[in-house]
Amino acid sequence: MIQTFGHLVALFMILSISAFGGGKVVLPTLQEQAVNHYHWMSNQQFVDLFGISIIDGPSMMVVTLVGLKACMEYGYVIAILGALVATVAMFLPSSILVLIVGRFWDSWKTSPWHESIQRAMMPISTGLILAAAFIIAKHSIHTIPTAIMGVIALCLMLFTKLNPVIMIVAAAGISWVFLR
Amino acid sequence: MSKNPDISVPPIPDEPPKVSLWELIFFFGLIGLTSFGGGLTAYIRRLAVTQKGWLTDEEFFSALAIVQILPGARVVGISVYIGNHLRGLLGATVALLSIMTPPFILVSCLGLLYFHYGENTDSKALLAGVTAVACGLMASMVFEAGQKSIRGVFDVMMILITFLLVRLAHLHVQYVILLLGPIAIWWHRPRPDKKDEAQKQKEAVS
Repeated sequence: MIQTFGHLVALFMILSISAFGGGKVVLPTLQEQAVNHYHWMSNQQFVDLFGISIIDGPSMMVVTLVGLKACMEYGYVIAILGALVATVAMFLPSSILVLIVGRFWDSWKTSPWHESIQRAMMPISTGLILAAAFIIAKHSIHTIPTAIMGVIALCLMLFTKLNPVIMIVAAAGISWVFLR
Repeated sequence: MSKNPDISVPPIPDEPPKVSLWELIFFFGLIGLTSFGGGLTAYIRRLAVTQKGWLTDEEFFSALAIVQILPGARVVGISVYIGNHLRGLLGATVALLSIMTPPFILVSCLGLLYFHYGENTDSKALLAGVTAVACGLMASMVFEAGQKSIRGVFDVMMILITFLLVRLAHLHVQYVILLLGPIAIWWHRPRPDKKDEAQKQKEAVS
């Protein structure tokens, strides 16, 4: 149990300070570690948990669920504790970094390097998000109906301002009725 | 103090207004409860800058600039910054806890339900739709991120190299950033001649 907590903390603290461009970019590494390295869950469970996690909260609430599942074998109470440990390990280091950099910000706010860093990191995070999208697609688009739903969601996101939560709830209802 | 919405520039921008911790808890708790979807930073800006006047637009965008070049979720970073701006370390802690607690409870409960009832036809059918939409959302993020980041052949190459390193070489994200980050930063390093040109263009326009 303690060992699992240790693994969660070590993994998520590294991912926390690597998440340039938002939480989504660490998804490929998280999947690799949670599924293939630590064997906490199957690929299908990982993608299911990712689907559940986007209903609320900042990107990467899936870490909460990875923590939950990693400690599930010790019972529900420990599982929730695991979820808490994972969430703190994921969100605390990057928050501390904001405070530290915020303090020194004024002195290098006008530095031209600031724009260099931003422009340099954005394509890298795009590549990482692309890799993350591939992982999700591989384990979520199994059939023609799911492919159609995915494409519709993509179009709605790109061309309308519909709240994604509404899409998720609607998709859950539609697929429960038609795919059961 | 009179609350006049027409005043766009607060009189003393350097002095943060007095805000109670309860107000912070309520403010960030509400955002935590409703925090999904694009435009959330715009939503926070409207509430914190325009409605409450907790910080000036300049302070907000300066904070956003910090958060964008640092790792981590943008919404969380902005919240921590605003909390710190208003009430120091205590405010930052309160902001972080308030914004994380509602989604933590909600997502954990859904997770417990999933593992309790996981393997049956109902939940499988339900999740087939949810994950398909999740995939669509991810794909839309690829488009948005790509649109913002591609300004030349080098950027396209960086996207492809990153993708290949992660997908084919299974390189972990921290090593990808340590490897490619410095190269990309050096490529985009500040060049005085370019800046002068931009300055000249600006002057020519104005």
